[in-house]
Amino acid sequence: MRRIEALVLLSTLSTSILAAESSRPRGVGPEFAKFYKAADSFTCISNPSIKLDISKVNDDYCDCPDGSDEPGTAACTYLSALSPPQPIVGAPNTTLALPGFYCKNKGHIPSYISHTYVNDGVCDYDVCCDGSDEWAGVGGVKCEDKCKEIGKEWRRLDEIRQKSARNALKKKTELVNEAQALRAGVELRISSLHVEIKDQGKKVEELKKKFEEVERSERGKVVKSAGKGSKVTVLAGLAKQRVEELRDALVGLVNKRDELRRKVKELETILSTFKEEYNPNFNDEGVKRAVKSWEDYAAKKDASPESDESAEDRDIESISKADSETEGINWAEWEIEEESDIEALYKFEEYLPASVRAWVHQKLTDLRILLIENGILADNASSGSESKAVSAARTAYQNLNDDLGIKESSVGDLTKDLEKDYGPNDIFRALKGTCISKDSGEYEYELCWLDKTSQKSKKGGGTTGMGNFVRFDKMYFDEEVDAEGKGLGTGERTVLMYENGQHCWNGPNRQTTVVLACAEKDEIWKVVEQEKCMYRMDVGTPAVCEIGQKKADPKKDEL
Amino acid sequence: MRRSLALSSRWTAILVVISALCCLFSPAISVKHENFKTCDQSGFCKRNRAYADTAAGTNNWEAPYRIAPESLSWKNGQLQGSILKTVNANGETVRLPITISFLESGSARVVIDEEKRQKGEIELRHDSKIRKERYNEAESWAIVGGLDLSKTATEDRGSAKSHVKYGPDGKFEAVITYAPFGIDFKRDDATQVRFNDRGLLNLEHWRQKIDKPAPETKEGEEPSPTPEVPAGEDESTWWDETFGGNTDSKPRGPESVGLDITFPGYEYVFGIPEHAGSLSLKATRGGDGNHNDPYRLYNADVFEYIMDSSMTLYGSIPFMQAHKKDSTVGVFWLNAAETWIDVIKEKEAHNPLSLGIGSKFETKTHWFSESGLIDVFVFLGPTAKDITKVYGELTGYTALPQEFAIAYHQCRWNYNSDEDVKDVDRKMSKHNIPYDVIWLDIEYTDDKQYFTWDPLSFTNPTGMLEQLDQSERKLVAIIDPHIKNKDGYHVVEELKKKDLAVHDKGGGIYEGWCWPGSSHWVDCFNPAAIKWWIGLFKYDYFKGSAPNLFIWNDMNEPSVFNGPETTMPKDNIHHGGWEHRDVHNINGMTFHNATYQALLERRKGEIRRPFVLTRSFYSGSQRLGAMWTGDNQASWEHLAAGFPMILNNGIAGFPFAGADVGGFFGNPEKDLLTRWYQAGAFYPFFRGHAHIDTRRREPYLAGEPYTGIITQALRLRYSLLPAWYTAFHEASVDGTPIIRPHYFQYPSDEAGFAIDDQFFVGGTGLLAKPVVTEKAESVDIYLPDDEQYYDYFTFEKYSGRGKHNIVAPLEKIPLLMQGGHIIPRKDRPRRSSGLMKWDPHTLVLVLGKSGQAKGELYFDDGETFDYQQGAYVHREFEFRDGVLVSSDIGVNGKLTEKFLRCVKSVGVEKILIVGAPKSWEGKSSVKIGGGEAGLEFHPEEGNKAAWAVVRAPKVAIGEDWKIEF
Repeated sequence: MRRIEALVLLSTLSTSILAAESSRPRGVGPEFAKFYKAADSFTCISNPSIKLDISKVNDDYCDCPDGSDEPGTAACTYLSALSPPQPIVGAPNTTLALPGFYCKNKGHIPSYISHTYVNDGVCDYDVCCDGSDEWAGVGGVKCEDKCKEIGKEWRRLDEIRQKSARNALKKKTELVNEAQALRAGVELRISSLHVEIKDQGKKVEELKKKFEEVERSERGKVVKSAGKGSKVTVLAGLAKQRVEELRDALVGLVNKRDELRRKVKELETILSTFKEEYNPNFNDEGVKRAVKSWEDYAAKKDASPESDESAEDRDIESISKADSETEGINWAEWEIEEESDIEALYKFEEYLPASVRAWVHQKLTDLRILLIENGILADNASSGSESKAVSAARTAYQNLNDDLGIKESSVGDLTKDLEKDYGPNDIFRALKGTCISKDSGEYEYELCWLDKTSQKSKKGGGTTGMGNFVRFDKMYFDEEVDAEGKGLGTGERTVLMYENGQHCWNGPNRQTTVVLACAEKDEIWKVVEQEKCMYRMDVGTPAVCEIGQKKADPKKDEL
Repeated sequence: MRRSLALSSRWTAILVVISALCCLFSPAISVKHENFKTCDQSGFCKRNRAYADTAAGTNNWEAPYRIAPESLSWKNGQLQGSILKTVNANGETVRLPITISFLESGSARVVIDEEKRQKGEIELRHDSKIRKERYNEAESWAIVGGLDLSKTATEDRGSAKSHVKYGPDGKFEAVITYAPFGIDFKRDDATQVRFNDRGLLNLEHWRQKIDKPAPETKEGEEPSPTPEVPAGEDESTWWDETFGGNTDSKPRGPESVGLDITFPGYEYVFGIPEHAGSLSLKATRGGDGNHNDPYRLYNADVFEYIMDSSMTLYGSIPFMQAHKKDSTVGVFWLNAAETWIDVIKEKEAHNPLSLGIGSKFETKTHWFSESGLIDVFVFLGPTAKDITKVYGELTGYTALPQEFAIAYHQCRWNYNSDEDVKDVDRKMSKHNIPYDVIWLDIEYTDDKQYFTWDPLSFTNPTGMLEQLDQSERKLVAIIDPHIKNKDGYHVVEELKKKDLAVHDKGGGIYEGWCWPGSSHWVDCFNPAAIKWWIGLFKYDYFKGSAPNLFIWNDMNEPSVFNGPETTMPKDNIHHGGWEHRDVHNINGMTFHNATYQALLERRKGEIRRPFVLTRSFYSGSQRLGAMWTGDNQASWEHLAAGFPMILNNGIAGFPFAGADVGGFFGNPEKDLLTRWYQAGAFYPFFRGHAHIDTRRREPYLAGEPYTGIITQALRLRYSLLPAWYTAFHEASVDGTPIIRPHYFQYPSDEAGFAIDDQFFVGGTGLLAKPVVTEKAESVDIYLPDDEQYYDYFTFEKYSGRGKHNIVAPLEKIPLLMQGGHIIPRKDRPRRSSGLMKWDPHTLVLVLGKSGQAKGELYFDDGETFDYQQGAYVHREFEFRDGVLVSSDIGVNGKLTEKFLRCVKSVGVEKILIVGAPKSWEGKSSVKIGGGEAGLEFHPEEGNKAAWAVVRAPKVAIGEDWKIEF
């Protein structure tokens, strides 16, 4: 006992000699030195009414309700809102006055370590590289000063980190430029589209007019259309249309059927796996019933002879092919106009001299239009069989008009895209459309910027959607940063929320909180399932780097 | 009647609400009752109950068992002879050898066997190759000592009775009546325990199956009861028995044993864990508030078990205590087969011969087991402490655990990877939450193959263990008895090659299903299997293991997913040719034992106290580690159920017990989780655990104020670790429970006998009543005496026998200190218990009405067996007449001095005196030897007691000293 005391005394002595310039008591940081200057007494920092003899400083007994008399021991650690409450006399200020035990870490960066780590028998070199937290050597622990090597290693790594940080900023600038260029591209595209739209708008107007003219004049024609030909041609037209409709419906149905078949197959696979793997231990009546029904279903299915669906499928396939000269019905054959006698009669105009003919034709047409407009004659144009001239004009007009619509909507889309949040400086514009992935234990995870997150098990099975991008967010984190600078660190971080992924059995839809921290390259650092089917992805990217930003206290971590 | 009606309709309403809630939150939560037998579905249970009913319904029922007086012989405290059982109307008898041993410890033992089976003169059905005897090796697993025969017992034989005087000062007496056979056990001339009082002794003697032309029964049809069975001999359950699609071939036919044991004058019985119900056992033959089925002991993996039930659970201790004012007696039914216990409680003993003093009550029990011997120990007390001590002499005391094992354990099914474990470890430190052990459930393995690590998610187990070791933390990994049946898995290949697995009835290796799918079960009844098992745990065999890795044995009932009642068929065969039927309840203990043996010395010369948690257990399991109450649920009901179960386990000799904090199934609300941590801080085994489908619930995730309150509860546990460890030490030397029910501490206080929601912590005088109900604002705590009590945290005073209300908002744990005790603490918060080793103590002197206080402290290295050679500190502190004295109450050994040198620097930093005398006002120092230390006095304030602090007395904890106030 005495020897230990002597040792303690000696070490206190040597420390005081070494630290002669400040002669601060053990564990006191320079910013608190002023409180420990008096030679014979000490006043509790946050409770100035309590004045102690200087011998009570660092005597391993807690006197100050703010812990300030024990900067160098663990004696005041029980003063904590996390410890069981104890009776307090009066109303002292119990907020701890000191941030911790001050490790000088000569040769490296000084640091505060929690008093609960002082003299617990563990050398906490990650904070106290000089080993001063274990000055009492409890249980024979000896923590030699490792600041020289740790400092050296830290500086080496720090250089790498600095370099990496510079590179990251450079990359970020590149990303910003790229994003700006992309934005400019979009803006350019919009303005060129605007010009095109303007021009095309005029053209469309012209074509529209033309079409209307043609249509108007065609209305005047008595009979010229294929439809007005023979009844057969009319029928053929109708039949063709009907067949087309039916075919479309059939194709739709077949697609639906295939989709359903796929689903049935998937469900059957799930159920047979379920039957294989369910746990009869639990003797869950519900599960048992389900398994039994599945067995019955499977048995029934096996028993009924597989009807030959392939033949049927072949039939459907051939039916659903578009008609052409070689397949199905050659509608063209039925559309050729056959000149009937009745038709010929209408051609009397042809017997007239050209000049008269034009005049007569014009007059007849006008008359006919007059009659139509007054409801006396029926309008041919709407009968579904219009002339080729009209359809050509219509097609020309419609095509160009459709194209105009597309252009207009893409202007809308692009404008909206410009207004969309791509983060500060539009930076994620440069990343959108790219994906990064990480191999982590059983799974391979993928993050597609502003798109979706997913996982794929190495033990088989497909890709599972873990969420689709919905918005940016900011959240506070307090996490480790490793020696290579990977990790979220402490502070507010940009977060990408991915929601509504694949539904979890017995749980919610999967979702991923993608937390971003500055790094030289895009990289998924870590994926954790914080709660069932709620993931957090820690991701490094230059996109969120800021000048002068440090992720964490460099003296504490990164060793 | 109206009351019961109202009650039942309320119950119905509650049930409806509960089931509605269940539907909302998760697939129906309730035990699959139909998976487990009722008494009516268990042949021998039905037969023995029917036998009891016949006896009760018959006038002047005379049991057909009598001792042949001429067969009796007395030697060295042992009476031997034969019982003749009359088996038919012709008076034919079978001979049942009986041995009654009177032991030095004061207990008596009665063993009844069957001569014909003993001699092997029976025929087995189905060409079975099993043993013909009744199972007679339960003793070799359960009993470790205390069998020395009494040297002072004397026999006085008469023509109808024999009297044996035995026990301390010859105060005990056994009166053996010949015809019908019966024994009365007396203490101070009053009968305490009676055997065969009701004539229910039943030993089903061997008989040949006579095949009668079976009545035509169509397949699938229930066989109609055969009318031609002779009256009283219902053979329907004698032979093959089918349940849940499995047929038990029963090659030895009916062979059950039964006996009624009456406790005249006793109203309360406790013990026979494990059941989810009150500490005080209920009557089991129906009626308002009673159970309908006997208490069953048949270790089983009961999925989502229900509350307040006599249904069996994972473990069995067939040890019961009966208690009345100032007297406790007990019986231990040493039988490893399926066992049921019927309890009847009667007011006004109807037996005029009952000599019990004030025999207003009578508790009648009826014990029956499917096979094996009748082998019963009787303990006559007179105190519960006497009984747990003697019971412990027989079955062993609680193993003194490593210190970390009584600190906090953080578990989850599952931590997903080594990185996940390291992350939780870092976060606990970061949030200043102490913990000692993190756990891995089955998912850490490669495809459920034990002794392997998942190659994708646990790539660096060594790195993980090293990080934990930096703050003296440990890892516990699960290893179960089912071995995956898969080609190329080295463990199963060795198991098969060496033929060390349990066999099926045909003699082949038994195959069943458990977590890994198709599996085999290691047969730890086989010494060769134990030897092999030990080898599997060597560091160079179990790659990635390290000294700070410990083991969890789950599913050792054994749980077999496709077996009858989720366990093995009873006609499976174990080492030595014994049927599984004979040994079932011991099976879990044999596996636990093998793992314990394996952890003793994983590297040559490195001998450490093992830590193995078990789910299944039997009498004796306390020698091997801790148990927990299995798969509970995140509900207030389950939180409340924890203490009665743990208390019951404690008085039954296995006090190192706990329930999963937070509840295994389901997601606890934050207030429930918080209250559960406050309760868990008082579980001898303190572990948070969660099902794989639940949300993460590590304490730091709860958020404020919950995380802070939970941390306070954890730190309370840690600061009281010196007191807990001292209580564990006491349990390890005399079997006294660690948390103690009222009847145990206050055997005269009748109002406290049934209390099981508050308890004392060791001998510290700490009386705790953790809140276990939702939205409670206060609790009523019951004080058993007129001593002064103080609130642990505020020093508010409570006194007077009866109930007192303690205000208990969420952050408050109702915890009182009883005057007259000295409580040792260590108040400095650290990351783990290992890092508190060198911290100084705080002594809390809680002065009683007499102004005196007394307490104990025991500690050692918390790790090795050196304490067996004296490497420990055991002090008694006593404060009286203004002087506090620390004196050594240990026994010096070879290593004492070395240990004392080692802990020389560990001192006392502070002495807190609660209830300090007024006269100390103005006193500013105390005398310590030649020197002195400062004294601070704080006068009484309202209802808060006066208290004082001795500042830095600078005395070593391991030395003699004296402080004068």
